[in-house]
Amino acid sequence: MNKALLTYLVWPLVKFLIAFIIVQLIVVAMTWIERRLLGFIQARLGPNRVGPWGLLQGIADPVKLLLKEDILPTSAEKIAYFLGPMLPLIPAFVVFALIPYGPPPAFTVTRVNVGLLLILAITSTAVYGIILGGWASNNKYSLMGGLRSAAQMVSYEVPFGLSIVGVLMITGSLDLVQIVRYQETNAWNFLPQLVACFIFFVSMNAENNRTPFDLPEAESELVAGFHTEYSGMKFAFFMLAEYSMMIVNSCLIVTLFFGGWTFGMFGVGLTTSVLRGMGFFGGILGAAIFFAKVMVFMLVYVWFRATFPRFRFDQLMDLGWKWMIPLALGNIFVTGLFILAGQERLMYWIGLALLGATVFYLGRKPAPRKGIHASRVSEA
Amino acid sequence: MQVEYPKPSWSQKFLVLDLLEGLKTTFRELFKPKVTVRYPEERNEPTDRFRGMFKFSYDRCIACKLCAVACPIDIIYIDVHDDMIEEGGKKKKVKVLDRYDIDVKRCMFCALCEEACPTKPKSIWLTTKTYELATYDRNDLYFNMQELEYWEDRPRYTGLPEEDEKPRLDETRLLK
Repeated sequence: MNKALLTYLVWPLVKFLIAFIIVQLIVVAMTWIERRLLGFIQARLGPNRVGPWGLLQGIADPVKLLLKEDILPTSAEKIAYFLGPMLPLIPAFVVFALIPYGPPPAFTVTRVNVGLLLILAITSTAVYGIILGGWASNNKYSLMGGLRSAAQMVSYEVPFGLSIVGVLMITGSLDLVQIVRYQETNAWNFLPQLVACFIFFVSMNAENNRTPFDLPEAESELVAGFHTEYSGMKFAFFMLAEYSMMIVNSCLIVTLFFGGWTFGMFGVGLTTSVLRGMGFFGGILGAAIFFAKVMVFMLVYVWFRATFPRFRFDQLMDLGWKWMIPLALGNIFVTGLFILAGQERLMYWIGLALLGATVFYLGRKPAPRKGIHASRVSEA
Repeated sequence: MQVEYPKPSWSQKFLVLDLLEGLKTTFRELFKPKVTVRYPEERNEPTDRFRGMFKFSYDRCIACKLCAVACPIDIIYIDVHDDMIEEGGKKKKVKVLDRYDIDVKRCMFCALCEEACPTKPKSIWLTTKTYELATYDRNDLYFNMQELEYWEDRPRYTGLPEEDEKPRLDETRLLK
């Protein structure tokens, strides 16, 4: 076989397939983990009937959805109705070819020198499927859900992109591999870019329509939002796309702010050269570290869902435009000042101090309340 | 009266530390004991004053039919015949209960029959601890006198039966 064909087509395809299968396994596992974890936080057990500890729930659910009747509403726009669930799947799957899972070149599917830009461009198109699905259902709730989703995703795309700029400024590259390589010799980017990391995390929740930003599918207002009219496998496709996008964003935050496949800072620990020294096993270890970090963020998604109540729509827009965007711009400005002054190391200490202050705040005892709190009216 | 809401301080307004406080709370809940009872394997024992399935006592019943009169939907069916017995050389007329059926599937468990019962202790009462009344056939919920008295002896529900076994409780009923 032609060598070029092997390196540019066959191997990337094989690697993409492996990564794809791992990601789909995470999606299947998440359907179980999410419900189980939510249950545990809400003082109940969650699904525990199918298989040991309910582990086979992830298989039982797709089987049920496959066997369900595929309903087509009579007044639906047929072509758009079919395209709706398919469109968000494409960007969600394509992006997995661009993410570095381990030390390059063996554990990256493709290495694009503007990979980050490409990922942002591709993931932004996911909103079309949701709008199309919401509109084609010919149902006012679905349409409302679709429109809300569009407004929300467009609004949060801005702070999402702006928060990355700070990272680009200190790493000086759009190549995800370069960004990870920078982080292993310096600190992980969440330390110098703590504000950007926070903004990225909030916008990533908003991008995925997850609680507290799940306005597009707010049950109490819109039945189920854009997927009200969808049943069976089409509904499953929407869910698959949503969870795939969650994994994409978790991969992104791990790569940009939490050191990707490495486990070490300032050149100490499991850096790329150490992992390369271990040969193939080191690569596997790197990928394992990467997916472990991704799973942590997936669990944080669930944790957020269990904790925060839903925003009102105007509050959501306020947060996006009045707080997140100025904060991201300010972050870029401050980062620029530090880089101009040549004091990049100082940013680590500021980040560390902020983290320490937060931990200290959480650990302290709450001060006794002054005056009558609303919850104590009956006592007063 | 005037209620004072606590004014958010600068730190609460501009930082997200309160959100972290919420996250801390939910994280603590994760490890607390769960309230779920996994029903067929484990079950809650009702308290002593729990009102469950009927219980009937043939020995206490004086066949006065007050319960049937009290029943608002007339689902208690009583048949009685008079009998003469000799007691201390004297002939005495007593009522003998032939039939005491309750159509439990229509019963709303109002316990008016229990209230109406003049015997002490009651010969029909509802303070039993059984709540497992589901059947596969609605005719299984028509209880006669013996069944009402001895239903406690029937086996408890332990999950779905095997494929070949018939999901009926008929065979296990006593005195039918």
